[in-house]
Amino acid sequence: MTVSTDQHKEEKKDVTFRVFRFNPQVDSKPYFDDYKIPVERGITVLRSLNYIKEHIDASVSFRAFCQAGICGSCSMRINGLSQLACTTQVWDVLAKCREEGIIKIEPLRNLPLIKDLIVDMDPLVDKMRHYSNWVDSTMAESEMGKKEFLVSEEEFLRYDKATDCILCASCVSECSILRANKDYVSPAVLLKSYRMNVDSRDGIHDLRLAELVKDHGVWDCTHCYRCQESCVKSIPIMDAIHGIREDAIECRGAKDTSGAKHAEAFMEDIEKKGKLVEATLPIRTNGVVWTLQNLLPMAVKMIMKRRTPPPPPLVKSSKGIKVFRAMFREMSEHVKQDQKSHKK
Amino acid sequence: MKRYAYYLSCINESMTKEVDRSIDLWQKDLGIELVKLHESTCCGGSNLDYVSPKHFALVNGRNIALAEKMGLDLIVSCNTCLMTIRTAKKKLDESPELKAEVNELLKQEGLEYRGTSDVRHLLWVLVDDVGLDTIRQKVKVPLKNYRIAPFYGCHILRPSKVLGHDNPLEPSSLDQLIEALGGQTIPYEHKNRCCGFHTLLVAEEESLNVAAEALEEAMASKADFIVTPCPLCHTVLDGYQVKALKQAHIDNSIPVFHLSEMVGLALGYTAKQLGIKRHMVS
Repeated sequence: MTVSTDQHKEEKKDVTFRVFRFNPQVDSKPYFDDYKIPVERGITVLRSLNYIKEHIDASVSFRAFCQAGICGSCSMRINGLSQLACTTQVWDVLAKCREEGIIKIEPLRNLPLIKDLIVDMDPLVDKMRHYSNWVDSTMAESEMGKKEFLVSEEEFLRYDKATDCILCASCVSECSILRANKDYVSPAVLLKSYRMNVDSRDGIHDLRLAELVKDHGVWDCTHCYRCQESCVKSIPIMDAIHGIREDAIECRGAKDTSGAKHAEAFMEDIEKKGKLVEATLPIRTNGVVWTLQNLLPMAVKMIMKRRTPPPPPLVKSSKGIKVFRAMFREMSEHVKQDQKSHKK
Repeated sequence: MKRYAYYLSCINESMTKEVDRSIDLWQKDLGIELVKLHESTCCGGSNLDYVSPKHFALVNGRNIALAEKMGLDLIVSCNTCLMTIRTAKKKLDESPELKAEVNELLKQEGLEYRGTSDVRHLLWVLVDDVGLDTIRQKVKVPLKNYRIAPFYGCHILRPSKVLGHDNPLEPSSLDQLIEALGGQTIPYEHKNRCCGFHTLLVAEEESLNVAAEALEEAMASKADFIVTPCPLCHTVLDGYQVKALKQAHIDNSIPVFHLSEMVGLALGYTAKQLGIKRHMVS
């Protein structure tokens, strides 16, 4: 009985919300407004913002709808991390504040700002359109609505988690490469693309994949795992990105793009020497011309610093490479068998 | 003397030889012995896992089995090798079928993956096993005049379900080590961000933008140098620094040290002994 009484005991604190403000129609640059409000334990960041809007400053602008972690519209950066305001407890954020008692609220990154905490989602929608993020049905139009299009449970499990995405764009906001180039496909679109490409009802797998392997596509992901770490639905986004890459190598071959060539080089070197032959990695990834143009000036300095990786003949194989190689090749046979039975 | 099996990372055997050299200098000073696994092979560098998930499990199951045969934990000093080998361990531990398939092949070498050895970063060994108090006592040349920007890198933090040592949002182990060595850590946003290494050869412009942003913030924070526990981050932040800052039109520079070099400096070894002169930015 004591426990339940304790759980229901509501504590109260004065909390400062430091809110990003910018109205491009009147402001020359962004600024922060501090709102100090009394907050009870159990209150979310969104409810606090609603309180501020209702009782202190009606001009604070943000998007919110379902208030239950379903619609994905209230994603914003709360103390630096992109997350949903409606599922984030003020008490949890307070426990990790850099400045005690102050919660910093900012708009998502990597999307154009409209006003205060509202960003323009159109670039994301445009990318979803560009990469055909829908099932392009193989069912004839004349049959639609007349019969069911069944999906096996086994198949559904391959993209079950990906369907949890609510397009809140937290991953988009946290992406390292998108921050470096706004044309990058973005994690949410890669996740959706993966989900469509493994759906047996879809008929444009090859077209979508061809688009995904182009510049600014799947090979530009730098494996920083920030998308996955910030996903409000805990979706393993990197598994989807790796899934597209695995599919690309299987369907389009290992010599298709510089990304595929780069990845395949690891496989080759491990089988041959057990060690990566770094000296030739740029050439094998991008060819001789690119390597000379891009890396020659740096290579000269590296030679002076004795920092260049050894040429292939001088890369010592791992001890016991012969037995290792035999095991590695035997595993290649296992993989071939798997692929055969998979195709059947 | 506490013993560990030490994984040989490809990059530390070629471009960043100073990492293993500097560890060799001071490991006994801190009461640890890292036994080099000359039989270990490349982990696949966060690429093999999707090129061929089964080879990935075999290669890294074997890397861990080599340590298990000696009854020792496997210690790694490259973030990506750490994340990659720990990912394989998780997959093997979660799938009895995969483990059995790998072990059937490993028999040829008299090895077996059992899942008994942990896979840990050298930084974690220093902070958790050697201990900050011991390290404080061993310091000969405290880094007291230095403002140091810790750059953790991604694969010692994320995915946190695989790594799990530091809070990926507010990592602290490297900060604690810096303070134990007498240095002053600089709070800055990029300390848990990305260096851009893994797309250097595929999307160079983007990678260099990522690196330039980190370097710029560290310099703006008035850090004397950056320190990183990952030789791949070092390769970008030091090796590609000139190129990255040129692309970003920034006329400045900042030295970048390996974790192992920073420890070596505080334990009284010289920059020459530690191989710091091999860096591209001095």
